[in-house]
Amino acid sequence: MSRRSRSRARQTGWDIVGVIVFIVMVFPVFWMISTAFKPDDEIVSLTPTWVSLHPTLAHFRDAINRPYFWQDVRNSLIVVLATVVISIILAFLAAVALARYRFRARTLFIVLVIGIQMLPQAGLIIPLYVVLARFHQVNALTGLVVTYMTFVLPFCVWMLRGFLLGIPKDLEEAAMVDGSTRLGVFVKILLPLMGPGLVATSVFAFITTWNEYIFARVLLNDQSKQTVTVWLSYFLGTSRHTDWGALMAASTLTAIPVVIFFLIVQRRIAFGLTAGAVRG
Amino acid sequence: MKSRSIAALCLVAVLAAVVAASTPGATKKATANSITVWLQVDAQSGWPDVVAAATKQFQSDHPGTSVNVQYQNWGDHLQKFDATLAGGSGPDVIEMGNTEMTKYMAAGAFADISSARASFDNSANWLKGLAASARYGGKTYGVPYYAGSRVVTYRSDLYKKAGISKLPATTAQYVADAKKLAAKNGKKGFSPVYIAGTDWYVAMGFVFDYGGGIATQISGKWKGLLSSPQSIAGLTAYKNFFNSTSRASKTTDETHPNPYDVYAQGQAASIVGPSWFSCCVGAKFKGSTAQFVMPGRLKGKAMPGFLGGSDLAVPANSSNKALATDWMKDFTSTASEKALQAKGNIPNATNLLGSSVNERAASRSWFVPTAKHWVDVENGNVLRNMLAQILSGKLTVKQAAASASDNIASVLNQS
Amino acid sequence: MQETPSTAIAAGTQASRRRRRSRGRFLQAATPYLLIAPVVIVIAVILGYPLYWLGKLSTERYGLFELIQHAGTSIGLDNYRSVLHDEIFWRTLLRTVIFTAVIVGLTMTIGMALALLLVRVSRPVRLLLSSGLILVWSMPVVVAVQVWYWMTNFQNGVVNHVLTQLHVGDYFQHDWYATTFSQLGMVSLLIIWGALPFVAITLYAGLAQVPADLVEAAEVDGARPWRVFVDITLPIIKPILLILTSLSIIWDFGVFTQPYLLIQQSKIHAGNYLMSIYLFEEGYFKSDFGRGAAISVLMLAIVAILSIVYVRRMVRIGNEA
Repeated sequence: MSRRSRSRARQTGWDIVGVIVFIVMVFPVFWMISTAFKPDDEIVSLTPTWVSLHPTLAHFRDAINRPYFWQDVRNSLIVVLATVVISIILAFLAAVALARYRFRARTLFIVLVIGIQMLPQAGLIIPLYVVLARFHQVNALTGLVVTYMTFVLPFCVWMLRGFLLGIPKDLEEAAMVDGSTRLGVFVKILLPLMGPGLVATSVFAFITTWNEYIFARVLLNDQSKQTVTVWLSYFLGTSRHTDWGALMAASTLTAIPVVIFFLIVQRRIAFGLTAGAVRG
Repeated sequence: MKSRSIAALCLVAVLAAVVAASTPGATKKATANSITVWLQVDAQSGWPDVVAAATKQFQSDHPGTSVNVQYQNWGDHLQKFDATLAGGSGPDVIEMGNTEMTKYMAAGAFADISSARASFDNSANWLKGLAASARYGGKTYGVPYYAGSRVVTYRSDLYKKAGISKLPATTAQYVADAKKLAAKNGKKGFSPVYIAGTDWYVAMGFVFDYGGGIATQISGKWKGLLSSPQSIAGLTAYKNFFNSTSRASKTTDETHPNPYDVYAQGQAASIVGPSWFSCCVGAKFKGSTAQFVMPGRLKGKAMPGFLGGSDLAVPANSSNKALATDWMKDFTSTASEKALQAKGNIPNATNLLGSSVNERAASRSWFVPTAKHWVDVENGNVLRNMLAQILSGKLTVKQAAASASDNIASVLNQS
Repeated sequence: MQETPSTAIAAGTQASRRRRRSRGRFLQAATPYLLIAPVVIVIAVILGYPLYWLGKLSTERYGLFELIQHAGTSIGLDNYRSVLHDEIFWRTLLRTVIFTAVIVGLTMTIGMALALLLVRVSRPVRLLLSSGLILVWSMPVVVAVQVWYWMTNFQNGVVNHVLTQLHVGDYFQHDWYATTFSQLGMVSLLIIWGALPFVAITLYAGLAQVPADLVEAAEVDGARPWRVFVDITLPIIKPILLILTSLSIIWDFGVFTQPYLLIQQSKIHAGNYLMSIYLFEEGYFKSDFGRGAAISVLMLAIVAILSIVYVRRMVRIGNEA
């Protein structure tokens, strides 16, 4: 066999493995979406149906018509975008400080950043509510944004620091010798190289914040102010009938904005390009 | 360019935050012009019109006062309530499950409404079980809201096919019917009577039917009753009943799976549960579904059913107690209770009771010990574990009951 | 030497240059503090009181009654003593440590393999696989648990159906939640499945920083793929790997939602407690907030100890840079 066809065969081999992995990983998501389109009797039937032959949009209609769906989606978008944008900016600054500067409080700051992530969140719910209530930030989206930032910032700082450490200092030093300012170095050199890291971190921040439940539940009372994860919980919070079809349809709907966000930013993680550094 | 898009994003974020902060009500404090009511999401999906009618009545008596109804989930409403007890901004009226009341009453969470008790409609005839759950130390802290009992939902077509002409009048008859149903429906996993193994609501009915109990208070101290001979007879009866009629998992509870889902799959001829089960039996069997009262050991007497239900209470840290009490009066008025009854619930007073299957089943009921630590027994799954051990054969009935009885007594007797 | 105007000017310029340099140096020294200030302020404002509250309450008797009165009674270290003398605490700790080790190990290994796979496959498959990972990642945890439960449920779970059809055995109405091992096994699979996308994608982003020419040069020299990985790739992505491992340990040790919702409240008992569930049940469900605070503090200390090795290495790498 010629060298070319051998490597092509190997490539196909890897591709097949990739497709199999895809199928296994995505199966639960597929099951969720498929159930959302199934009529009720197929959902409860003893033998499962893979893809319904009589798909129905009734569950989606039911889900969208539940009270406050659109308001809650809007609230989620506001909270998440505000949290992610502000957090990434602040975290990037702090990460630069950690990765590029030597200063006395450095170890203390690292301990703080890591320590926050180790706090068991269950213990913080009540005192956090008390603090926010004092500032009249209970039942307010701003209160939730600040709370989310507190938990997202340490993680973002930690992640961005890791990515920054992977970028060699000589690039910056060469640029500074050429006469650019420190700030110029950040914008022209670091930022582009940090592209994949910034995107991966912001995707994580987006998803974590979008899917967060317990603080949104405790801090937001008016249903018109709640986020979409709280809206989703009402499907399961009743002591009566759980509508699986509607729950699956509602779940599919809540996942859509995340997918859209990722599709917008995914180019930066060099998935589609023959990645500059790694062989594709 | 990159810096421009970053600046744009910053602007969006700041604008978003400003919009959010200026959303009306972002910094609203509870004023005398509004009260906040926490009801469970069951009301939002089941009887929103009853809620609206009560609010309308309230507003005609108190013009200018708005009512903010916020719906809660059973799973986390107590956690939210705890947070408001610590930090304020809580509701003025809260719906509590009747088993949740005692713990909070003992801790001083609710306002004493004993003086207003007589002014509530039908208060002299409140259902005993519900009224007891709203009283502590001789004072009244809550208003019974509604109740639900347990009935049998069954497939009349399968019953006909098996040649069962009369509905069972005793549990023994029910078991005999189950054998006939099993003979005619040999499909793998089919249950003539689907009951989940650890469904303690059904199991304890047997215990009370045989004259046993869970625990009783003697001169201030709780004593476990599960190890008494009557209770053991009841548990043995349950074990035999389960083994001859149900193919459910021995260790799982009564919501995983939901009995009505098993019914809808055609895998059960009858299920025991709340009367609203009939909503979800599936289109195929809707027409051939009916209900009857679960029979007890003795002819003519129903199996004691667990009287589940909810109460309404006013938190002690509410600043609108008088208004809150008025809203509760409107929501539990005779008209309002009749409307709840029409939706399939049991109203809160005996003089309002009708003759639906649900209400007939409530004629013989049992309730959990009104101890402030009962919630801990439930959350610790003491009864469920006991049933799982009995059914799986890990322990004999006597052993499992004795250990559970001691466990319950020690938990209830905690300070 | 006699001062001439030129030397005076020269001296003056030198002095001002020195002033400028020391001002510049001051700015240089202050910069890192300015950079981290916003983060510190946000965290301090929001978490300052809660941390104080946790510390204070852990030394008090504080139940529902005390919560309503807004005052507890001081009992010194009794809460800690009661927890440390509780056999259930130690058993739960051991169980959680093993649980965490297994999950983190599997997540990192499979995640690394997935990242390398993403590099290897052709472009369309890469897009497919990455989109699939994002779909998985985008599912809210609560939803994932419900779907997972639905797929493995006793009555008509599709997993049982598939296993029976593939003749792996008779799994008709197999109860996946009957034994503690099976319950925790299901929970582990769910957590690993949910954690893989993040690990794989982050590692892939890290691999993007590996210079292609180095890899090519090594391969031209005849190095085997394993050697290339260990000698060239691994050192560059080491910081990321350490970060991911330390984060995974921290998260998986304190994981709550998946086990609590998948095993369900009615089946949770001292025999299948994980640390976060133990904290929740003993502290907050029973409304014993003082005890809950003590357990929180202990959990924080334990996680810190468990992750210290990785964190130290991370800090050291940063300091070498």
